[in-house]
Amino acid sequence: MPYLTRRSIALGAAALFLSLGAAQALADRALLNVSYDPTREFYKEFNAAFAADWKARTGETITIEQSHGGSGKQARAVIDGLQADVVTLALAGDIDQIASKSGKLPKDWAKKLPNNAAPYTSTIVFLVRKDNPKNIKDWGDLVKDGVQVITPNPKTSGGARWNYLAAWAYASKQLGGDETRTKEWIADLYRNVPVLDTGARGSTTTFAQRGIGDVLISWENEAFLVQKEFGAGNFEIVVPSLSILAEPPVAVVEGNARAKGNLDVAEAYLKFLYSPEGQKLAAKNFFRPVDPSSADPADLARFPKVELVSIDKDFGGWAKAQKEFFADGAIFDQIYRPTN
Amino acid sequence: MAMSDRVLPLAHTPERATTETAATKAVLIGIAVLFLAAILFLPLVTVFMEALRKGWGTLFESFGDPDTLAAIRLTLLVAAIAVPFNAVVGLAASWAIAKFEFRGKNLLLTLIDLPFSISPVISGLVYVLLFGAHGWLGPWLQHYNIQIIFAVPGIVLATVLVTFPFVARELIPLMQSQGTSEEETALTLGASGWHTFFRVTLPNVKWALLYGVLLCNARAMGEFGAVSVVSGHIRGLTNTMPLHIEILYNEYNFVGAFAVASLLAGLALLTLLAKSFLEWRFAGELAAAARRH
Amino acid sequence: MSVPVRVRNLEKTFGRYPALKGVSLDVEAGELVALLGPSGSGKTTLLRAIAGLEQPEAGQVLFGGIDAGSLSLRERRIGFVFQQYALFRHMKVFDNIAFGLRARPRASRPPEAAIKARVLELLHLVQLDGLEARYPAQLSGGQRQRVALARALAIEPRVLLLDEPFGALDARVRKDLRKWLRGLHQRTGHTTLFVTHDQDEAFELADRIAILDHGRIEQVGTAAEILGHPATPFIDSFIEGIARREARAREWTKPHAVAGR
Ligand SMILES: Nc1ncnc2c1ncn2[C@@H]1O[C@H](COP(=O)(O)OP(=O)(O)OP(=O)(O)O)[C@@H](O)[C@H]1O
Ligand SMILES: [Mg+2]
Repeated sequence: MPYLTRRSIALGAAALFLSLGAAQALADRALLNVSYDPTREFYKEFNAAFAADWKARTGETITIEQSHGGSGKQARAVIDGLQADVVTLALAGDIDQIASKSGKLPKDWAKKLPNNAAPYTSTIVFLVRKDNPKNIKDWGDLVKDGVQVITPNPKTSGGARWNYLAAWAYASKQLGGDETRTKEWIADLYRNVPVLDTGARGSTTTFAQRGIGDVLISWENEAFLVQKEFGAGNFEIVVPSLSILAEPPVAVVEGNARAKGNLDVAEAYLKFLYSPEGQKLAAKNFFRPVDPSSADPADLARFPKVELVSIDKDFGGWAKAQKEFFADGAIFDQIYRPTN
Repeated sequence: MAMSDRVLPLAHTPERATTETAATKAVLIGIAVLFLAAILFLPLVTVFMEALRKGWGTLFESFGDPDTLAAIRLTLLVAAIAVPFNAVVGLAASWAIAKFEFRGKNLLLTLIDLPFSISPVISGLVYVLLFGAHGWLGPWLQHYNIQIIFAVPGIVLATVLVTFPFVARELIPLMQSQGTSEEETALTLGASGWHTFFRVTLPNVKWALLYGVLLCNARAMGEFGAVSVVSGHIRGLTNTMPLHIEILYNEYNFVGAFAVASLLAGLALLTLLAKSFLEWRFAGELAAAARRH
Repeated sequence: MSVPVRVRNLEKTFGRYPALKGVSLDVEAGELVALLGPSGSGKTTLLRAIAGLEQPEAGQVLFGGIDAGSLSLRERRIGFVFQQYALFRHMKVFDNIAFGLRARPRASRPPEAAIKARVLELLHLVQLDGLEARYPAQLSGGQRQRVALARALAIEPRVLLLDEPFGALDARVRKDLRKWLRGLHQRTGHTTLFVTHDQDEAFELADRIAILDHGRIEQVGTAAEILGHPATPFIDSFIEGIARREARAREWTKPHAVAGR
C-alpha cells in the first residue's frame, strides 16, 4: 500500500505537470471556437472545410476545438478566462458583454466584418407534431386554451429572447401597439409553457425526445435539424405570418488570439464564413446565408418567405431590448409566473 | 449516477424491535422493493437498453469516436490524480484529527465536511472566483500564462474538492475509536514515527481507507456539477464522461450518450460491488475490534 | 542494566487543570514501587511523563543521572504496559512481541533468527508457549496482559512502567498474576513502577509504596512505615480499610492460608 500510494502520487504529479504544460507545448496550432448550442452540426462541417482550406493555402495543419452551450453562459466563461480565439454566439449583446467586461476585443467589433459581423441569419418558426393535431397556423393559436408551448427561458437563453421578441412583435402589431394589452397577450402565451428549459437545445429535446408540448418555438435551423434527426414525417414546420430576423454574430477575441499567436488564423477563420464555401455550408445546415449566390438552390428553396422584423429597427437594438424586457424586474419578470 | 449518498453498512440485523404482524412486514418490504425497483433499477436498465437500441455494433462504434475516447481518458486521468491525492491528504487529516490535540481541530473537522454540505456548483464557482480571469489569482496566473480553469488542472481541483470528505469521513470515526495507545506503545518500543504509521496506524485502518477510496473514486468519475462549471466544455479536451454524455444527448446522439452512460454506470456498479465486498470484510473487523474491549 | 529513576518537582497541567503539582519520587535500581491513589489523582499522568509520552511544564526526570528530557522515546528504553494492553490488533502474538526489536534501526537490529529465539524465550517466560500464532482477539484477558508484558520486556528496558497491569482482570486471575509478577521481578530485577487502584496489591507486591492524591505525593515508604505512621489524615483514612481487612484476614484465614495454595 505505501509503495502503491507513493507511486500514484508521483504519477499524478507528473500528469498534472504534463497537462499544465500541454496548453502551451502543443506542436500544431489549435484554434478554440466558443459557440452557442444550435451551431454544433454546422461548425463540425465548417471546421473540417476550413482546416482543409488552410492546409491547402499555408501547408499548416490546424486543429479547431469547439465548445458549445447557452450563449449567455458561454460569454460568461470567456469573460472568466476561457481562452476562446473566436466567439460565434447567438446575440450581439453577449459579445458586447465580453468586450466591456474583459476588454479583450474592441467595442466596435461588429464593424470588423460585413453585415454587422453576422455571416448567416436565421429566424423563428414553429415545430408541431405530425399532421399538426392542434391546427396551429400562427402566433394567435399559441395562446389558446389547451395548447402547450415549449420555449426556453429568456433569462438564460439567447434563442428564447428571439422567440419572445418575435411573439411581442406579432402581438404588438395585432393590437395596434397597445402595450398593456400586448403584455397581457405575452403573459397568456407564457401561461401555456409547461417547461422553461435553460437553453434552446434543451427545449428541443424536451419537445422532440421527451414528447412534451404541442408546439416548439424554435430556431429555424433547429426545426430543420429535428426533422432530419427524427424523420421528416414525425414533425412539421409551421411558418408564422410574422417573425424576426436573428443575426448571430461572430468576432475574434483579439486578446486571447494574440496571446496564443493565433490572430492570423482566427481572422482567416471568420472570413472563411463569408466565403462561397462557408455560405454554402451554412445554407446546407439550415442557416440563411447573407450571400446566397453560391449556396445550393435546393438548400435555399427550403427557407420560406416570411415578413421579418428587425431588432435594430423595431426594438432599438439589443441594449435597449435587454433593459426593457429581460433585465431583473423588467417586463418578462413582471408577466411570468411559474404555473406549478 | 454520482454515488454521493452514503449507504450505511448493515452489519447485523437487529433483534425484532417492533411487534408488527407478518402481513405489515411483508407490505413494508414490498413497498421498499418496489420503490427501489422503480427508482433505481428501472432507470439503470433503461440506460443499458437505450445504449443497445441500435445493436451492439453501433454501441461499440460510439466508443471509437475520438471525443468519446478523450472524455474517457480525461475522466480516468482526473480520478487517477484526485483519488490518490485525497487518499493521502484525507489520511493525514484524519490522523491529525484523531490522534492529536491541537487548536482549531473543530474548525478543521467542519472544513472537511464543507464539500458535502455545499452544492457542487458552488464548489466549481469558488475556483472561477479564485482562478478566473477576474478572480483573485487571475491576473497573476495570466501573467505567467498558467491556465487553471477551463483546463485539466481546474477539473482536477474541482473534483478533489468535491470528493475530499469521502476518505476522511470514513477514517476519522474509526481512528478515534481506536485511540492512540497502540501508537504510543509503538513509540515507547522505539519505533520511529514513520514505522509507527506504516506498521501500526495504517494496517489498522486499511479496510476503511480502501472503502473511502472506492467511494471517492465513484464520485470522482461521476461528478457533474462542479466540473461543468470549470470545464469550458471544449470537445475532446475538457469534457469528462458525465459532461460528454450531456453533450452527446443534446446532439441527438442518444446511442452514443447512453453508451458512455452505461460505461459510467458499469464502472459505478463495479465500485459498488467492491464496496459491498469491503463492507462485509470491514464489518467483521469492526465487530472483532469491538469484542476486544 | 536497570537504572534508578529520579523524579524532581514534576508539574503538568491539562488546560487549566493541574494533574501533577510538583511530584518528586526516587525509585532505586531494581526496586519495585507501587503507585497508589484515588482515581484522577495523577498516577497515569506521572507514568506517562516518565515515559516521555507527556511533556511536563516543569521538573526533571533522571535515568541513572541522565536528564530524560534530552533523550528520545527510543533512547529512554522504557517498557510501558498500558491499562488496556494496547496490543497491535492486526499482528499475531509473535509479531507483537517482536515489534520493538524489528523497529530498531537497521544497524542495531538483530537478525531474524535471533529475534525468533528471543520471542520464544519471552513467551516461555510469560508462560504462553505455543500461542505465538494467535491474534490478540483470540486470547483471554490474562493472556493478553502477559503478551503486553513480554512485548515490553523484549526491548530489554531499563525501567518497567506498568499502568494498572491487572486492572481489567477478575480477582482470581489478578491474584495469580500478582504472584507471578513478583517472581518475574525477582528473576529479572527491572526497576519497576506500577500503578494500582488496589491497596492490597500494592502492599503485597511492592518494596515501597508511593501514595498520590490530587497530583501530589502524600507519602512514600514501605508497607510497615505507611501502616505504622500514616503521614497525613488523608493517608490515614485511605489505608484504614486495609488495616482493618488485614487484621480480619489474620484472624480468619490463618489456619488455611498455606494449605489453600
Ligand atoms: N489528556 C488529558 N486532557 C485533560 N485532562 C487530563 C488528560 N489526561 C488526564 N487528565 C486529567 O488529569 C487528572 C489525572 O489523570 P490521571 O489519568 O493521571 O489519573 P489516574 O490517577 O491515572 O486515575 P485512574 O486511577 O482513574 O486511572 C484527571 O483529573 C484527568 O481528568
Ligand atoms: Mg490511570
